[in-house]
Amino acid sequence: MNARSDIGADDLPEQPRVLLVDDDEVNLLLTSIALRERGFAITEATSGEAALVALGHGLPDVVVLDALMPGLDGFETCRDLRLLPGCESLPVLMLTGLDDDASITRAYEAGATDFFVKSTQWSLLAGRLRYLLRAARVRAELERSKSRLARAQDLARMGSFDWKRGAGGPVFSVEGLRVFGLGPTDTLAFRPLLRMLPVDDRSGLIAVLHEVIRHSTVLATDMPATLRDGRQRIVHVEAEPEFNEHGNLIGYSGIVQDVTDRRLAEDKIRHLANFDTLTGLPNRRQLIWRAERALEHARRLDHQVALLLIDLDRFKIINDTLGHGAGDELLMEVARRLRSCVRHSDQVMESTIESMGSRSHRTLEAVGRLGGDEFVALLPEVVDERDAERVAQRILELMREPIFVGGQECFVTASVGIALFPRDGTSVADLMRNSDVAMYSAKGAGRNSASLYRPALAGQGREKLELESALHKAIERDELVLYYQPKIDVRGARMVGAEALMRWRRNGVLVPPGDFIPLAEETGLIVPLSEWAIREAARQARIWQDNFGFADSIAVNLPSRLFERTDLVEYIHNAVTTYGVPHHAIELEITETGLMKDLQNVIPSLHRLNEIGVEISIDDFGTGYSSLAYLTALPISELKIDRSFIRDLGMTPQSSAVVTAIIALARSLGLRVVAEGVENLRQMEVLHRLGCGVMQGFLFSKPQPPEDIETWLQQTILPRKAPWIGKAEEADVAEVLRFPDVRDPRAKPRG
Amino acid sequence: MSGEPFSLHASPSGLDPEALARLTELDPKGENKLLERVLRAFQTSAARLMPQLETARLSGDRATVRLVAHTLKSSSASIGALSLSQVCAQIEALIRAESTDDLDPLLQTMRSALDAALSAIQRLLDGAR
Repeated sequence: MNARSDIGADDLPEQPRVLLVDDDEVNLLLTSIALRERGFAITEATSGEAALVALGHGLPDVVVLDALMPGLDGFETCRDLRLLPGCESLPVLMLTGLDDDASITRAYEAGATDFFVKSTQWSLLAGRLRYLLRAARVRAELERSKSRLARAQDLARMGSFDWKRGAGGPVFSVEGLRVFGLGPTDTLAFRPLLRMLPVDDRSGLIAVLHEVIRHSTVLATDMPATLRDGRQRIVHVEAEPEFNEHGNLIGYSGIVQDVTDRRLAEDKIRHLANFDTLTGLPNRRQLIWRAERALEHARRLDHQVALLLIDLDRFKIINDTLGHGAGDELLMEVARRLRSCVRHSDQVMESTIESMGSRSHRTLEAVGRLGGDEFVALLPEVVDERDAERVAQRILELMREPIFVGGQECFVTASVGIALFPRDGTSVADLMRNSDVAMYSAKGAGRNSASLYRPALAGQGREKLELESALHKAIERDELVLYYQPKIDVRGARMVGAEALMRWRRNGVLVPPGDFIPLAEETGLIVPLSEWAIREAARQARIWQDNFGFADSIAVNLPSRLFERTDLVEYIHNAVTTYGVPHHAIELEITETGLMKDLQNVIPSLHRLNEIGVEISIDDFGTGYSSLAYLTALPISELKIDRSFIRDLGMTPQSSAVVTAIIALARSLGLRVVAEGVENLRQMEVLHRLGCGVMQGFLFSKPQPPEDIETWLQQTILPRKAPWIGKAEEADVAEVLRFPDVRDPRAKPRG
Repeated sequence: MSGEPFSLHASPSGLDPEALARLTELDPKGENKLLERVLRAFQTSAARLMPQLETARLSGDRATVRLVAHTLKSSSASIGALSLSQVCAQIEALIRAESTDDLDPLLQTMRSALDAALSAIQRLLDGAR
């Protein structure tokens, strides 16, 4: 215990190990006893040679060496031991004589840590040893911390430097030199350092340095540097001023750090945040930022700004049919083309716009992608709306060129809405909304066109938006209903089927199909709507089957895009199975135009539907441009003569010619023919004479709710009370309508 | 326990009492027989060094003479043989200063001082027994 308190330092080993080297047995003995007494663990050696051997077996904490010894003396021993592994910084105390100055100098030269004049004052020796041990420990820690710092700086690509006023250039640490791609033995004066910078940046840096030194402020700047090996790096410099006791600036001390990677990452992050990843165009955020800056400039300089909202027509169809990959390809090409329509600048950052002159807003001009197939062109300065319209026309023209995606030629058109600041809005939000309204109006006007915002449009746009969102909810709210219009075999005066027509009962008001079907098609809502109609028709077929033995088909109108769905057959199968009606209870009507437009994609579906017994009817026949060759090969069962021919029947000879031709065509192909829109007896009689026996129209019944159809059957058909009944069969033998007793399906009239 | 260790009063030996006292302090109770071991170590050391010194003196090897003087200088001081230590220091200093003086008279003095110290030691050791 005594021993430990004598060592007296908590941070020292409990028993510091001392290698004591002295050729004088008396001194050796005395010294070792005295030091043991004071808590040291002693290993004795009587010569330099023996000391080196002992060090080979294990390292002490400190070596005490007698300077004068026969053989290897203390100096030689010290020099030798420094070469042993682990002994480079081992503390060595050289014992010399009091009167021996030369030895003291030689001791240091030989690498001794300290000297001690031989004395019998043992506590002095012990004290000196403790001091040496502590110093060695501090030094070791310093070394460790230095190497940790070096490692940390190395990892951080950082180094330090000092600059003393009036003492030339900065002095860099080894790590600092490495930041500039230099080796530890290199030096880097200010001029060569400056030459690493791009020429344009040099005077800037000098100005910054002058400014910082003049005000004795903290230096913090980034500089682009081209290293000797040609690498381009960005070096961050940060330094603090140092002052003397009088408060005068004497220099700077600081760090240099290679921040290239961080800067690149920051740039990347900034780019991701501001640009669309697919097209590389500014994104919504960046566009809004640019638009706001443009408005600020326009307010100050009193000019107009134009915002063009560009929406691709039919893009959804391309996406749906060719897949998203092709859709993306197309968007990239569209982006490329749009970019060429304006003086597009990619790089506009906060700093540049502020540092540039009054024309700087020109750099804001850009095309950006809001999302999906919506793009925006920002024209920061236009003289009038014609400027904007010219750009819009350029856009429409560029879109006209076919785009090759997925090995296929695609035609894309766009609708452009234009809003001007300040006329059509004084905020970015207003301009966006109003250009959107104008764009919708362009779409409404047949697409592939540009439209300027007019205040009158605003109402329409909003109404439409409301309509769209309400339509979304119509199905779940049970607001949709099917009305039915019977198909009549006039000769037999009986119903041989019905066409289901969708109605929307919105807030108690019946919305006409023309007001929401186009919107549904535009928004894609037509798909869930049609699916609902199929199920609903199947359900109704079941009810009628139960109520009066209905065994015909209910025709449901489907847009051609639904025929492209591979699950259509399955969907119909599930619907009829659910309600326990045969497949042929559902008939599908597709317009001639729709069929021909997507013929290749629709045909497989038609075949599969035909296989399971679902018949196909071609609606509005005569209005499209059917290839007759196709028509013969298609698995269809029925042609419906377009109402426009029926309307003119008996009034123009052409219409009866067309009807005659269609009937002849249908007959020769073995197809049923149905006349739509029959409103009066004259039309009925002509049709009948021409050989068309099945008709549909107000003459017989308008579209009605299903329960009203039942009433109509009972009150009109069954008692044969309608004016048209009898007229058509005057020349024919009437076929008795056996409704409602008949349960067996009736043969369908042909042709 | 061998009873009283060396008594300073009992040995007006020609060795410096203060030096002996310091040695005694290192081993106050005499448990380690320190004084005896030191004195015997000196005897051994002297027995080793004397022939070296004689050979060196005869061959004029001043470096060895210096080394012996140096060693004896400090060990004699440690045991209190002050006059011996002094003459050793003189010899060492002369050689270090590369003096051309004849060393023989000094070596003669050193020899007799050593003899005196050794006999004093012997008396002490005998007295201890």
